[in-house]
Amino acid sequence: MINTVILSWTTFIYFAAFAFYLVRMVSVRERWGRLGAATARIGLFAHTAALILRWVASYQMGMGHAPLSNLYESLIFFAWSIMALYLIVEWRTKSRSLGTFVVPVAFLCMAFASLSPNISSRIQPLIPALQSNWLTSHVITCFMGYAAFTVAFATGLMALLKGMERRARTGDGSAIYGKNANPSPMNFIRLIPAPGILDELIYQSTVLGFVFLTIGIMTGSIWAHYAWGAYWSWDPKETWSLITWLVYAVMLHARHVRGWRGQRMAVMAIIGFICVLITYLGVNYLPGLHSYQ
Amino acid sequence: MSKKNPVRTFFASVKLAIVLLVLISMASILGTLIPQQEAAGPFINRLSPSVADILRGLQLFNIFHSPWFIILLALLALNLVVCSLNRVPLAWTRFRQKSEPDRDDLFETIPPDQVVVKETSLSEETDRLEKLLGKKDRVGRKDMDDRSYLYVEKGAYSYFGVYCVHLSILVMMAGVIIGSFLGFEGYMDITEGESSAVVALQGGRGAKNLDFAIRCDRFFIDFYENGAPKTYRSDLTFLKAGSTVQSSSVLVNHPASFAGMRFYQASYGMIPTGDPVMTVALDDKKIKDVQVAVGMEFEIPEKKAKVEMTRVEENLMGMGPAVKLSIQSPAGHIQFWVFQAIEQIMQANPGILEQVTLFNPGLFEPYVFSLGQAGSRYYTGLQVTRDPGVPVVAAGAALMMIGLMIVFFCSHRQIWIRLDTRGEKTRISITGKSNRDAVGLNREIRKLLDAVILNRESAT
Ligand code: HEM
Repeated sequence: MINTVILSWTTFIYFAAFAFYLVRMVSVRERWGRLGAATARIGLFAHTAALILRWVASYQMGMGHAPLSNLYESLIFFAWSIMALYLIVEWRTKSRSLGTFVVPVAFLCMAFASLSPNISSRIQPLIPALQSNWLTSHVITCFMGYAAFTVAFATGLMALLKGMERRARTGDGSAIYGKNANPSPMNFIRLIPAPGILDELIYQSTVLGFVFLTIGIMTGSIWAHYAWGAYWSWDPKETWSLITWLVYAVMLHARHVRGWRGQRMAVMAIIGFICVLITYLGVNYLPGLHSYQ
Repeated sequence: MSKKNPVRTFFASVKLAIVLLVLISMASILGTLIPQQEAAGPFINRLSPSVADILRGLQLFNIFHSPWFIILLALLALNLVVCSLNRVPLAWTRFRQKSEPDRDDLFETIPPDQVVVKETSLSEETDRLEKLLGKKDRVGRKDMDDRSYLYVEKGAYSYFGVYCVHLSILVMMAGVIIGSFLGFEGYMDITEGESSAVVALQGGRGAKNLDFAIRCDRFFIDFYENGAPKTYRSDLTFLKAGSTVQSSSVLVNHPASFAGMRFYQASYGMIPTGDPVMTVALDDKKIKDVQVAVGMEFEIPEKKAKVEMTRVEENLMGMGPAVKLSIQSPAGHIQFWVFQAIEQIMQANPGILEQVTLFNPGLFEPYVFSLGQAGSRYYTGLQVTRDPGVPVVAAGAALMMIGLMIVFFCSHRQIWIRLDTRGEKTRISITGKSNRDAVGLNREIRKLLDAVILNRESAT
């Protein structure tokens, strides 16, 4: 089908965008950054078109539903949310360093969706339990949240790398600086924005993710209320979403009340993201109502 | 706070909150790794009895309903209450505290780009700015001989956002408690055409008699072309003292409500009614069901064939029920037996169909005949719940959303403006404070400055 063809092309486009962003960091030449940004935009455009085509195709096949109903579609949508949010952040912050860390996550999602032999890319009809508008809002809000947490995670990685710079400087770091003409890992790190900016970005994206995850859990509960007769049943996926939510709640409290900043917040963003991954994919290996088949 | 009761100090601390949230998370992780409740059975069997006893003693097979987990939640609630009680007065003070317009101290360190000098007179400029800042009763103003001050604030309510969020957690907990004491969950299976007034309570906690009955008029199931289920639907009638009160269709995702309970489509099944039925299949797809009786005739139009049941045996040669078919078609006349237990017969006597073609139910190719205990009827499996806590939990959720919006997207902004005469000219200085959104405050100050410079009527 045409939409899956476009989606596999999008996978390569994202890889190219990642490569350009990476070359920018290593070579310290902004034109690679511009190339990366343009490529990422083309990728997102193709991605969006493919999603719409897929949606239309499902109607033509007589089982019209939003392309959010199985693991393939959810991975594709996750990648879409990540790229959309990233390009917004890039535009708002006017900084392209984050691309090197976020775009590969979107690429990996796409590649996993296209290449894993266990994941079917066919449009499948909705079984009765999935026929609900609450499900659509549930999936959309959850993945918006996950995308924001992905940005926080990638920024966290950057903050940790940036921390290495400071450690190198307090050691005998002075020798490493000077000639920025020859590509060195330290150049790479130097292009990462200042810790204060990273910290703010981690916080902002965590807040965004937290709000969306909260709405996601609520819409999920409403759906469960209509589908299973219980808004909460401690099913592994539900439980893990609660754990993720609590971890981010701890993170926000640690910042707001105990004044955590910088590296500690970066570590929390990474722990939180691991919880997101378990909630999203890990629980499929645990028994429960939610696992994608 | 140091003089206060140490217990209160302990429960007011945010450190305790973080510890509790981490503990609850860890307990929940355990709850997803160890099979819980009914699912725990096979897992327990694989453990040595002593280990199983220890885990059971710690209630690790039912963590989410165990007393220690509930105690953790109760401690969190207590923590929230005490912490909020300690802090709300402060938020209230901050909310009520109106700043004086003439805060000269704030202008001491003001950056030069927040100062504008204009040709207009002091009073004219002050009036214009006052209008620019908003409604008259919300703007504080103080005029002196050679100076004027303006003050405006907004979003002071944002100090309460956090308490909205925290209160919402308590409200939701209350909803859960109400539900667990006043609610119930159970199941009822109702065969098509019959009615029932008994709910089997979950977890073998006995039965509950309803003061009304539910009749299943019809159970309906529909498939997609690929065989995946498309719709499960039960048409139900609610009866009180024998007369119809309400008719509802229940689908997955569309429960019916009656008498404060909800009825969900949970499962379905077949109950054999005993009448034997002959099924004709083509490529594993059922195309026809025919009632079994001697002399019964039916047609297969695609082959211009006429089929007749010539004999019906309860137990043919010790191999169970069987029907003899006689088929007339343009291809000729054939006869053979169709056994109900053909699978078992084939297993017990491999190759029998080749040896005794008379026993081959697929002799009239490509059709395959089978004999079943069909004539079965559907029953619908309904889940019945009553949970009076749901509206409370929903209210809590709404409160939480409102709270989060206030916490994250509103802020308390205060803006002070000082105007003083510089000879013929007027000097205007603008500064402000914000509790969490310095960027937004800065943007607002810039807008005001622009409006002042350009003599615009509104700041946006
Ligand atoms: C699951 C439970 C909880 C959630 C979802 C939650 C949520 C929040 C949120 C969203 C904030 C604002 C953070 C920010 O501005 O970045 C906050 C602040 C705060 N929370 Fe919680 N909270 C929870 C439990 C608790 C508990 C048990 C305590 C008890 C001590 C507590 C004490 C505080 C305090 C003191 C603040 C700062 C308030 C201020 O601005 O002065 N929280 N909470």
